[in-house]
Amino acid sequence: MSALDLPLREQAAQIAGGDLDAGELLDACLARIEERNPDLNAVVATFPDRSREMLDQAPDGPLRGVPVLIKDEWPLPWRAETVGAASVPGVTTEPGESGPYRALRDAGAVIAGVANMHELGASSTGNTSLYGAAHNPWDLDRCPGGSSSGPAAAVAGGLVSGAVGADGLGSIRYPAAYCGLTGLKPTFGRSAMEGHHIANTETIVSGPLCRDAADCRLLASALFGEELEAGWGEGARQRNPFDEGLRIGVIRDPYWSDSAPGVSEACEAALEALRAEVGGEVTEVGLPDLELILPAALLVAQSEEAAHLVPRVLNELNPELGLINRGVLKLRAVLPLSLTARGFKLRAKVRRDLAALFDEVDLLAWPAVPAVAPPLAEPMIELPSGVESADSGNARQGVLANLTGVPGVSVPVGLDGGLPAALQLLGPWGSDAALLDAAEAFERATDREFVELRPATVA
Amino acid sequence: MEGESAFQSYLDGALGTFGIDADEDERAVMLGVWSLYEPGIQLLRDADLDGIEPEMRPDLSKPPAR
Repeated sequence: MSALDLPLREQAAQIAGGDLDAGELLDACLARIEERNPDLNAVVATFPDRSREMLDQAPDGPLRGVPVLIKDEWPLPWRAETVGAASVPGVTTEPGESGPYRALRDAGAVIAGVANMHELGASSTGNTSLYGAAHNPWDLDRCPGGSSSGPAAAVAGGLVSGAVGADGLGSIRYPAAYCGLTGLKPTFGRSAMEGHHIANTETIVSGPLCRDAADCRLLASALFGEELEAGWGEGARQRNPFDEGLRIGVIRDPYWSDSAPGVSEACEAALEALRAEVGGEVTEVGLPDLELILPAALLVAQSEEAAHLVPRVLNELNPELGLINRGVLKLRAVLPLSLTARGFKLRAKVRRDLAALFDEVDLLAWPAVPAVAPPLAEPMIELPSGVESADSGNARQGVLANLTGVPGVSVPVGLDGGLPAALQLLGPWGSDAALLDAAEAFERATDREFVELRPATVA
Repeated sequence: MEGESAFQSYLDGALGTFGIDADEDERAVMLGVWSLYEPGIQLLRDADLDGIEPEMRPDLSKPPAR
């Protein structure tokens, strides 16, 4: 096995121990990208000289010498982000030291390249980008998920063992789910975000996509600027659920009942395995206004870019921008403010209701995506309620975390028709480490069966 | 904005008012996206949110003050 196929933490440990040459690891990574990226289209830029410079100057941090990728959503000192688009409407992007870049650099990591993403981050599928779609290593004709399509395809495809994505309406968790990875959407505000083109965002966070929870913990710690130690965090909870029994809440309808049967069954089995491993109970719970959460989240999120979307900008959109984004951007500009204001009102109510629910349960759980990765050419999914777009089905499962600020993790739990299925766990604000504890407990319960699965294209 | 024709009228008016150009294909996208999310948005429009105020400068890294 190549050292490139080791977990991030093993790579870091072997480099620190003098058992692995970081320069050779970087060379292997760049060669692997050259070999596999023509099929995956996960990486849109490499810069070997810059990467070697980072390696030469790498401080003695927890990721010293380890190659990683970063989504095309932040600037680097030598490259402006493109956000997967011919241009970013109303924004001039420039090279610079973004927060995630600094976090990786200060941890000693080596940025081996920039990863593809869905154009302007506007879909859960990843099927549209300035650079062409990234491809799912499990089936190259399937969506890798979006908008962090490249980070997911790259890690699942074995180009690197970890990548930094961004999650504004589920954009780390959907691609992690589609590609069989573990992906953490951190609590809002905990991870580095400086330099993002939406400076005033209240929904988007940076976060890790890796093959398992321990690697997510390591990469997230770099992005947080603090070590994510196991547990619920000082003062976060009065009781330690891992000592006293985990109270897992499930909201059946629609999150479970309207997921594809194979996905629901895999998630049910995972939930039972987790419960059996840590003790505790799974109980059915409710949250008011479920049907209002998706429209509210969309309205709140779209308002963050509103200042850029003035008529002059909209009338001069780059013609290379995809048709769907051109239409959606113009639609967003004419939505009544009264609707957006109701979105913010609802956010206040949902945050209160969710805080009260987290007095009763430690975690919430449901399928991260309601169906496995759909075809790139036609991203529709078949659910018990009928056939619908993957975007609307996925967003229904994912946006609660972004609307309210709580963390969420997508955990691989098996295959449905040969494609990955995933369970999503949500926890209270600040419980990022505990979510990863739960993900690791599930890995133990299943002898790491699902995090060790590899797509045939890279096996 | 009840139904597609009402929304189409609104859309035509709003685009005209703000001076935003949109070709036929872009309008088709707008109508398609609106039809996808309209049911939820109508529910939000009609929801009883009286007495609920948005949080002022919320700290979204923490639960709301109670």
